[in-house]
Amino acid sequence: MKNYNICFLFFFFFFQIHATTQQRFTVSGHITDAKTGEDIIGATVSIKEKPGIATISNAYGFYSITLPAGKYQIVSQYVGYLTQIQPVDLVQSAKIDISLNELSRELKEVTVTSQRKNENITTTNMGLQRLKVKDINNIPVIFGEKDVLKTIQLLPGIKSAGEGGSGFNVRGGASDQNLILLDEATVYNASHLMGFFSVFNSDAIKDLSVYKGNEPAEYGGRLSSVLDIKMKDGNAKEFGVSGGIGLISSRINVEGPIVKDKGSFIISARRTYADMFLKLSNDSSMHGTKLFFYDINAKANYKINDRNRIYLSGYFGKDVLGYKDIFGIDWGNSTGTIRLNHLFSDRMFSNTSLIFSNYDYRINIDMIEGNKMNIISRIQDNGIKQDFQYFMNEKSTLKFGLNSVYHRIIPGVVTTGESISLKSLSNKNAWENAFYISKEDRMLNNLNLEYGLRLNSFSLLGLGNFYSYDANGNKTDTVSVGTRQFVKTYLNIEPRVSMNYLLDANSSMKFSYARNTQNLHLLSNSTSGSPTDLWIPSSNNVKPEIADQVSLGCYRNFKDDLYEFSAEVYYKNLQNQIDYKDGAELNFNENVESQILFGKGRAYGLELFLKKKYGRFNGWVSYTLSRSELKFDAINNGNYYPAKQDRTHDISIVGIYELNKRWTLSATWVYYTGNAVTFPCGKYEIDGQTMFYYTDRNANRMPAYHRLDLGATWTISDHSSWSFSLYNAYGHDNAYMIDFRDKESDPTRTEAVQTTLFKYIPSVSYNFKF
Amino acid sequence: MTLMNIINIIRISPILLLGLLCSCEKVISLDLNTSSSQIVIQGNVYDQAGPYTVKISKSVGFDEPSSYPAVTDAKVTISDNTGYAEVLSEDSSGIYVTSQLKGIPGRTYTLKVETGGQTYTASSYMPNAVEIDSIYNVKSDFGKLKQFHLLFKDPADTANYYRLIDFINEKAQNSMMIASDMGYDGKTISGTLLFSEDDLKSGDTLTLWLESVDKGVYDYIRTAANHDGQTASPANPVSNISNGALGYFNACSVRKKSIVMP
Repeated sequence: MKNYNICFLFFFFFFQIHATTQQRFTVSGHITDAKTGEDIIGATVSIKEKPGIATISNAYGFYSITLPAGKYQIVSQYVGYLTQIQPVDLVQSAKIDISLNELSRELKEVTVTSQRKNENITTTNMGLQRLKVKDINNIPVIFGEKDVLKTIQLLPGIKSAGEGGSGFNVRGGASDQNLILLDEATVYNASHLMGFFSVFNSDAIKDLSVYKGNEPAEYGGRLSSVLDIKMKDGNAKEFGVSGGIGLISSRINVEGPIVKDKGSFIISARRTYADMFLKLSNDSSMHGTKLFFYDINAKANYKINDRNRIYLSGYFGKDVLGYKDIFGIDWGNSTGTIRLNHLFSDRMFSNTSLIFSNYDYRINIDMIEGNKMNIISRIQDNGIKQDFQYFMNEKSTLKFGLNSVYHRIIPGVVTTGESISLKSLSNKNAWENAFYISKEDRMLNNLNLEYGLRLNSFSLLGLGNFYSYDANGNKTDTVSVGTRQFVKTYLNIEPRVSMNYLLDANSSMKFSYARNTQNLHLLSNSTSGSPTDLWIPSSNNVKPEIADQVSLGCYRNFKDDLYEFSAEVYYKNLQNQIDYKDGAELNFNENVESQILFGKGRAYGLELFLKKKYGRFNGWVSYTLSRSELKFDAINNGNYYPAKQDRTHDISIVGIYELNKRWTLSATWVYYTGNAVTFPCGKYEIDGQTMFYYTDRNANRMPAYHRLDLGATWTISDHSSWSFSLYNAYGHDNAYMIDFRDKESDPTRTEAVQTTLFKYIPSVSYNFKF
Repeated sequence: MTLMNIINIIRISPILLLGLLCSCEKVISLDLNTSSSQIVIQGNVYDQAGPYTVKISKSVGFDEPSSYPAVTDAKVTISDNTGYAEVLSEDSSGIYVTSQLKGIPGRTYTLKVETGGQTYTASSYMPNAVEIDSIYNVKSDFGKLKQFHLLFKDPADTANYYRLIDFINEKAQNSMMIASDMGYDGKTISGTLLFSEDDLKSGDTLTLWLESVDKGVYDYIRTAANHDGQTASPANPVSNISNGALGYFNACSVRKKSIVMP
């Protein structure tokens, strides 16, 4: 009996048993923006005559629904666009491309009731937040730059790592546990200038999806989140130039058709000039300082024919910091993808991607005559990804595919002048493969189930020497391995399940479970992360990190879908987490793996979210109550202790008010409990200097952080506008760092000193569009 | 400049530079826990004539005045690997001095402190001395600061560790500077020192001590010098003294050189 049941389940997974009394035909096509031709991702396509049947357009705007022969009305909807109803008489499979019209300001008020807006109720993906770049247009941000990374930190469960911090933490996870993809290429360091700006120019971005740990099987590689960012394709109908000039940075965006309605391109660039202000400083020693970044996003696409479409995307960015010729450091990402969409049939969509990603930093030093030194460090990925999406019928979609990436890490190559002879660190090579299969089923009329499996294999390869260490960090063994020979392979199975149960038209409950594994680990021992932090692969010493997360949520829309409310609880169990020995030497250390400690962790929390979606006044409130803890034998006597990123309370309130046709005002208020830190609990003297005594790690807290940002946009015409913003409007002294030292006025006592970075920072920028 | 120092500068500079744009500091009061009083031992043996001192004190709470109670009546012994041992006598409260002991490079010295029913031991190897080749003043690239370069030649084929202490008019300034010979084995190591105009005036004497130390002492100073709040988890320096004592025991060879400011 048992065997019979297993076989049955196996077949159920792959085949759908359905009645074939009628001929079935497929309606498929692309959903695009009527004005620009951009593919619309995540548009809902439903059949008026068959409630409960709906699909959403995929990452390339493609949709497919298979129905019995008959007359239907195809309803296409997307937030911010006019609903389109297309009648079809299905006597054979039909290709119906739909273009949706963006709602103009006036129409927005009138047609709002006819929209089907219950997207948050019906989509299975729990913990999925989809952000359209339009949503963030009015949110005030430091230095006036629209920033998608800063905006997602206003959502529940996603927290900033702190001012000056270059990462973010999702559901208590460390900042290297976020998979950040730009048109499918991994971005290793998503921040410019220590986190003040992200590497994403919102002029170039179309869509952003954030999964908080329970992503579908087609994603994998990091424990805590997936940030899937899609670049705009470029206006396929007409040329346009837009941009902005601001106090700290400027940007320009050029897009247009390559061949009208068949191909388009877009190029966006920006640069800051923060160092211009340093040149004006009274202190002449500041004059030689260089501090700026620039980045370029470029994309082109072409519809070869009805079944084939090719895309080329690229990103290049660099941060430069230096002082005259004495020292300089620069760092940046570059990514490139070539993608080919192919329609095998109107139900079988395929995408093949060739992916390149590179992150590196360079240090140049020329301080003393003859003592020149250059260091280069990089992580480079070359990979191929093949995805299939099979729209089986109106109730099921099957996705499967594989992803193969070759990672190459150069921890540090040194070239020096004659007076130094430094050996470069040995390179690390790894080959990572994943195969996934995932099915989405609509069962009954109100239960949506998405379940899948991801198989991940990670192999560390030679050439090189691989060491084993004892508990004191001494080498116990050395193994020499040849080029591309296998040193260590890890295989992991990651199940993913997500269930959405519709209670009624306005509310639903969702449950999900996911396992994630991570084979690249960022070693970072500083409070705010540094561009020189090192990525290391899993190895004979370092096991893959594993996370198991369950979450349960309930969602409800009120007042005819004017308000959206959600409450989610999650619990995450983490294995093979990394922390560092006291006094760990992470810099330029061939034996860096001997400095690491391994342990486990857990994170749990409650996320509440209330959003007013429409109206002159709209915005949202998000609140997260959570805990994130670690347990290491060698730390705090093996007891659970709070992770650095543990934050009990985290509140964000965003309000946007359209004063009139010309002015939009906005405000953001954030409050969060301070990070867990280690403060001294005593002092003593060594060599006449005061030293501080520490006991438990992370037993203290930074003071609570809160600030208010204000913003205003003055729209002069369709072609120009001014944006104003004030960051930290009431100037709360938020602690960036707390130091301990002898009292300046009385050296027989000691004091704590807090450094605040930003208060009352205004910004003005002029935006144009042609 | 050694690699360690370079990397530390580079890690800190972006924050410093950005912070200079907008930051401000303020003294705050925090509610800190107070641990029980810890024993602090600091001892040195040099290759120069003695006597050498071992200072033993206790830690106090953060909010208390910074006067650290001396530990008196401890039994302090220094011995070397040839079997020679000497019990130190308490010269003044908490300060124990040697009488006969003369440090000899190549020997390993052991410190033993018995007090309050506990025993604390430490061991340190005294490397051979390394001479300072020169100290000279250069025009600073950093505006109005005074810049000095220091050169010394590292012995080849051994792993060498150094600690530098600078004195202005006999008063110790910074005793937490370290260097290792990574990348410079057998070559000339250079260091850069910067002083502001107020700290070092015309006629002042700048003295540099170059101590050749062992890895245990090097690791202590390296981890002690990170007390600037930049590490994610500050911790006590890695001490070469057992049983949870704070501080270090340093058997080193030292060479000194002075230069008078013009």
